[in-house]
Amino acid sequence: MKKTIKKLFIANRAEIALRILRTARRLGITTVVPMHAQDQNGPALSQADEIVEVFGTPAVAAWLNIEAMVAAAVKTGCDAVHPGYGFLSENAAFAKAVEEAGLIFVGPSAKVIELMGDKISARHFAVTQGVPVTPSADEADNPATFEKRALETGFPLLIKGAAGGGGKGMQIARNEQELSQAIQVARAESLRYFGDGRLFAERFVVQPRHIEVQVFGDSNGKVIHLGERECSIQRRFQKLIEESPAPKLPGDLRERICAAAVKLASAAKYENAGTVEFIVSPEGEFFFLEMNTRLQVEHPVTEMVTGLDLVELQITIAEGKDLPLEQHQVQFSGHSIECRILAEDADAGFVPDTGKVLLLSEPSGPGVRFDCGVTQGSPISADFDSLLAKLVVHGADRAVAISRMRSALAQTTMLGVTINNDFLSRVLHHTAFASGDTDTGFLERYKADLTPEALTLVEQQMVLAAAASAAPDISMTLIPEPYASMGAWRN
Amino acid sequence: MTILQFSDSPDAKHQVQVRAQAVFVDGVCVEVRKHAQAGFICTQNGRTERLLAVSHGDTIYVQLRGRSVRLQRVDPTRAARAGTSAGGGGGGASLAPMPGVVVALLVAAGQQVKKGDALLVIESMKMQMTISSELDGSVKELPLAVGQTFQRSDILALVITNGDAL
Repeated sequence: MKKTIKKLFIANRAEIALRILRTARRLGITTVVPMHAQDQNGPALSQADEIVEVFGTPAVAAWLNIEAMVAAAVKTGCDAVHPGYGFLSENAAFAKAVEEAGLIFVGPSAKVIELMGDKISARHFAVTQGVPVTPSADEADNPATFEKRALETGFPLLIKGAAGGGGKGMQIARNEQELSQAIQVARAESLRYFGDGRLFAERFVVQPRHIEVQVFGDSNGKVIHLGERECSIQRRFQKLIEESPAPKLPGDLRERICAAAVKLASAAKYENAGTVEFIVSPEGEFFFLEMNTRLQVEHPVTEMVTGLDLVELQITIAEGKDLPLEQHQVQFSGHSIECRILAEDADAGFVPDTGKVLLLSEPSGPGVRFDCGVTQGSPISADFDSLLAKLVVHGADRAVAISRMRSALAQTTMLGVTINNDFLSRVLHHTAFASGDTDTGFLERYKADLTPEALTLVEQQMVLAAAASAAPDISMTLIPEPYASMGAWRN
Repeated sequence: MTILQFSDSPDAKHQVQVRAQAVFVDGVCVEVRKHAQAGFICTQNGRTERLLAVSHGDTIYVQLRGRSVRLQRVDPTRAARAGTSAGGGGGGASLAPMPGVVVALLVAAGQQVKKGDALLVIESMKMQMTISSELDGSVKELPLAVGQTFQRSDILALVITNGDAL
């Protein structure tokens, strides 16, 4: 059934709301974006055709409220909902509620989300399709013997929530002693984030690369892939740097991985955008990890190397139209890298930071794309995810992309909250990264190399001098004594 | 005169005095010229650099050659108090590494714990973190309840060595 989308509700916020809005606007689609009292500075809000206020405490609850999100879309006369990533994007009940309200859900059907969005059922399905998976133990098979079966799988073990994603609720156990605590923490986190405490244990492949395949399916059952992305630079199981194509991946292995992804998506009768994630061992074995039934954070690297607009493809398919291109028409050109700019202190163990964007200066130049979710003046609170912006570059080859990224990172200024651009820059300058020797243990292995050098005495003096000059209360030298010596505490 | 400290090395206090076109840093004169929004051109010891600096409350963010540094302005009276109250707080206090909310309390006041035992779980920006005991002893204080929010460096738990006076 073909239907044209005229007005789109973007059930998200920050950079991805703006990203979706840009494509919708280009396609002549009217956009509606939700706004919360705690989140009024997002760049999408100033560009949306309409804004609808949403409520909830904490603020994130507003974006997780299925009823309220659907009601907001209906109230504003939208005929479709784009969930973005995170929040309700992989929630089958949300997709169903949108459809039941008579609106188009820009994503796969609720049924497919149920099958492929759940790690355990997706894994069972992969096994039936002959796609390799790692040895594992599923709590649902028999909760009473779960710990024992997990033990038998062998260490190191990854304990994760059956309904999880994005690294939330994941724990690693290196030996029997660590197992029960890992189970306890994973269950608590999983319950809290996904409302589902069911667990799953699987063998942790040592020094794996994280390689994922972007797939698209349409209502005629046609499935194509848009190549792979390597996302091995991770901390706490969360991606920090992604690139396409994967460096040092032999051509035949790449073909087999992409073919496995297409096979899995075809068998699932997958419609719209999806990502099939694999881990690849140093020996070249690959195992199905999970499928993300939505647009990924790192989708821009695929856009850079294919020249395609993934949100446009999503909308085309959601309208019931066919995929506009065949597999052989997908052309890959050059190399693309994405860095996630996060509000965190990478040198202090990647702890999140809060503050306010007091000074923002965006990088630019040939092959540079900056998808930014904040504006100057945006408060950065603990209410939302720490992702502030995505810096994406494209170059004729990987070396050019790396040099462009180094220079773009140095140009990125966001003062008023601690961000990780210096840390990312040190990764981009590391020789092992430059030579493509990336696996998920990279940041841990090179921790010492990635620690910043101490400032020299002269640099310290300059920093202190600039700091003193920038703090208004203490640079008021004209205030007469004794008030001047009381500085900022004079009231 | 103002006292500043680098956030990553709070023990070292620096005295700064702002004058026209110069700042005295621990008695050393650094030449400073304002340059565009938030820009400062500093010259010291024959070297000249352009820095960016903004302040927010008592926190000052500075960028030098793409590298960001966070500093705090120190209340001189508080600095003096901290200097005289040696032994207070101590190694058993678990401070919040980030602002956030308490998700779960894993121990109760009075309970015996070992170094490394999990005391409570906190959350910030959708990331959970387990706060563990710094020493063997008993839990003296858990000042926050589940659901309560806190700022960076607030005390989340206090564990004292057995035998210490309560």
